[in-house]
Amino acid sequence: MNDNNNLQNQIIKEQAETHEEISHESTLYAEPIGHIGSFAITNSLFTTWIVVIIILIITISLKIKIKQIPKGIQNVFEMIIEGAMNLADQVTGSKKITAKVFPLAFSIFMFVLINNWLGILPFGGFGIIETTEHGKAFIPFIRSGTADINTTLALGIMSVIGANIFGILSIGAWKMFNKYVNLKALGDIFKKVRKEPTILISAPIVFFVGILELVGEFAKVASLSFRLFGNVFAGEVLLMSMSAILAYALPLPFMALEIFVGFIQAFIFAILTLVYFTIASQDHDEHENEDNHSKGKHVHKEQVAV
Amino acid sequence: MDSFISTFHIDWKILIAQAINFGIVFLLIYFFALKPLKKVMGERTKSIEGGISDAKNNAIILEKTKQEYNDIVAKARNEAHTIFQEGKKEAENKKAEMLEIAQKEVETIISNGKKILETEKVKMVEEAKKEIVSLVVLATEKLLESHKDESFEKKAVDQIKKI
Repeated sequence: MNDNNNLQNQIIKEQAETHEEISHESTLYAEPIGHIGSFAITNSLFTTWIVVIIILIITISLKIKIKQIPKGIQNVFEMIIEGAMNLADQVTGSKKITAKVFPLAFSIFMFVLINNWLGILPFGGFGIIETTEHGKAFIPFIRSGTADINTTLALGIMSVIGANIFGILSIGAWKMFNKYVNLKALGDIFKKVRKEPTILISAPIVFFVGILELVGEFAKVASLSFRLFGNVFAGEVLLMSMSAILAYALPLPFMALEIFVGFIQAFIFAILTLVYFTIASQDHDEHENEDNHSKGKHVHKEQVAV
Repeated sequence: MDSFISTFHIDWKILIAQAINFGIVFLLIYFFALKPLKKVMGERTKSIEGGISDAKNNAIILEKTKQEYNDIVAKARNEAHTIFQEGKKEAENKKAEMLEIAQKEVETIISNGKKILETEKVKMVEEAKKEIVSLVVLATEKLLESHKDESFEKKAVDQIKKI
């Protein structure tokens, strides 16, 4: 009797399984499409590998064709690089800093841009069907690398750590340390308290501002990574929703919008990286001294005028 | 924090893998695109700058050469004009000289001609005289022969002697 019941249950289960629908939902995280040992290869990671291959092909084909008199792809790249360098010069305000930081900012721009655009391409139909605890689910092979927080977080951390290393190389480790833990300001209390008693109030504030700057560095990582992730992921969800409402026609204008958003987000990430590097390479004390010096000059001029 | 990590499936292995991917992209772009392109663009800028400065120098040289050419042409014109004027003067002088010489020669020829004519005239007169004398002598002889007497001969000899 029990055997019969079990058999009946199994048959019902199998029938249910055959009629089970395959779900396709956009998840907040990248889904694994394979494994190498314990390492899960997510669709975002796979897309990023494609990005690396695309960039490899582009750069090698460019390297082969580079000549003194430019033609074709070299012309396009020279135009892009020259324009981007001029823009970077305007952001950094110094050709020296641009020369050092531009390769990193440009690489970030290209990496993010191609990742963003690859996610928009209509390759969503290619993927695997995986059985999960909630039933069968379709997992696409292609998911924009930047639609995974792991990628954007890695980029954000690299950008902020890179900026701090650049700051140490530019102004020195002690000055960089004092930006966050302003021991110099605390030390000035003992030196200047007789001349300027107000330093008893201002120095702790300056010290606290330094701590805030340290917190700000983490905020930079969060803002960089979540801005990019949020925009790209929202774009993918938007496109999927539009396709669900009316396939083919309705997503088209949104695709155009996403192409633009993809470009803008890559641009913002690169420009912010440039800005962080520029800020890190500047010494606050020097600026203060310069300001004081210019103020002194101004006062002197006024006195002369009087 | 744990819920955040589990919600977003933050995996440090993937994080590192993505960082490595970006590192590869950075190296590819830097060594295969930016560095060689910058080098080529720098070289081109240098050669263009060199070309422009060369062109400027050439323009200066050309201007100088033009100036020199104009000066030389002007100098040559002046010299040619002077030479022409001198030649003209010389030619005129020569012309005058030659005219003078020719005039003198003509005058000499004319005077020589006159002299020759006069000597010829004198010669002719003398010859005529001689002929006349011989004719007179002949006529006299014939006359004397026709009147052969001694008185007449005497008279005639005397008269001739008187002459």
